[in-house]
Amino acid sequence: MRKIGVVYSGNDVHYKTFHEPKFNQYIHKLIYLPEFQNTSLDELDVLVVPSQLHKQLLLEAAPKIHAFANEGKIVVALGPQPWNWLPNQKWEERPTNFWWWLEKNAKSGLIANLPEHEFFNYIPLENATWHQHGVFWPPEGCEKIITAEDGGAFLYIDRISTKGTWIITTLDPDYHFGSYFMPATERFLEGFFPYLAIGNI
Amino acid sequence: MNKKLTILKLDPMHAFGESSRHSEKTWKEIDQYDLDQQDLSNIDVLVISNFVDQEYLLKQKNIIENFLADQKIVVFCGHLFRMWLPGVSPFIPERVQTFSDYEVFTTNNDSGIFDGVTTGDMTYNKGVAGFFARGYHPVSHDVEVLLRFKSGHPVTYIDRSSSAGTILVHAGRDLLGYSSNHKTTGRIPDQLYTWLEREVQTHA
Repeated sequence: MRKIGVVYSGNDVHYKTFHEPKFNQYIHKLIYLPEFQNTSLDELDVLVVPSQLHKQLLLEAAPKIHAFANEGKIVVALGPQPWNWLPNQKWEERPTNFWWWLEKNAKSGLIANLPEHEFFNYIPLENATWHQHGVFWPPEGCEKIITAEDGGAFLYIDRISTKGTWIITTLDPDYHFGSYFMPATERFLEGFFPYLAIGNI
Repeated sequence: MNKKLTILKLDPMHAFGESSRHSEKTWKEIDQYDLDQQDLSNIDVLVISNFVDQEYLLKQKNIIENFLADQKIVVFCGHLFRMWLPGVSPFIPERVQTFSDYEVFTTNNDSGIFDGVTTGDMTYNKGVAGFFARGYHPVSHDVEVLLRFKSGHPVTYIDRSSSAGTILVHAGRDLLGYSSNHKTTGRIPDQLYTWLEREVQTHA
């Protein structure tokens, strides 16, 4: 089982999400963001960087996160990322489709682009389905697991930009579970932590 | 007596705040982590909303307490889980059997903050309930409740007894952030501002 570290902002939704016992048991180390620079990541195999972190502290943490990845380890980034810190980041903010499911012939806009991917053994597409805040345009050669119809990525794996593995998604289950919203986000995390711990990544 | 209201808001510097971060506002904003460096002597109201780092606020508890001891106002919107705000108990999610249990009702109070704001507009967005609040901070002391769930649990209250100042506690999103031309919730920021002016006057 991989040892997972999670960066913790100190905000109310992260407190709730990462202290929830069923998720917390998968977290080897919760790293308070203001103490990130002084915290050893040596024993960790996976580092989860959630959404809605403090801009300056996140950007200051970025070189250490990249160094962690370059040891051949796994970095996960959740949610909208308006600031450049991911490898070869091309983020496109889009109007949030809060209400897609109320429309006639509702389409979430999510496509399982690699339906045979290991990811879906843990998280069926319906458990990754709520609204989106935008898409990424990953470099050529990345695994685009969940995409929009036009090919923009909601969730992809980048094994080529660094020596490590980056699982990057625009989805923000950490926020929604922690704000008592959107039951799909709880099911997403119920699959996602086991995927990170024991999945074939 | 008629001095201008000075509001200071702590900015968690998170991604959702990015689009409005540089727009014109009627309040001053600082990076949340600059609170311990900030001169608060000319500030009347401190607004602290969800996404703020409560671990940090707990370390700055004395600053908040001293601010309130000066008979000033703290507005907190969010789910409290660290005891940095006098008299406030930790957030509890509302237990719901049906979506209508998330309905929020205005009490008979004279704050004016929620005047003309309907239960429907507060509770529902396109038929989906629970946007305004999904829980509460339990109270046993002398507070003025402004909004309640059907269960009676207080969504929003004013506490003038836990400190020399005034604390407005709202178990939801930033009340200054509501803007709508077609929903009555759009009235909240202006009415809150008016209440703050009046509350500051009573301490002047």
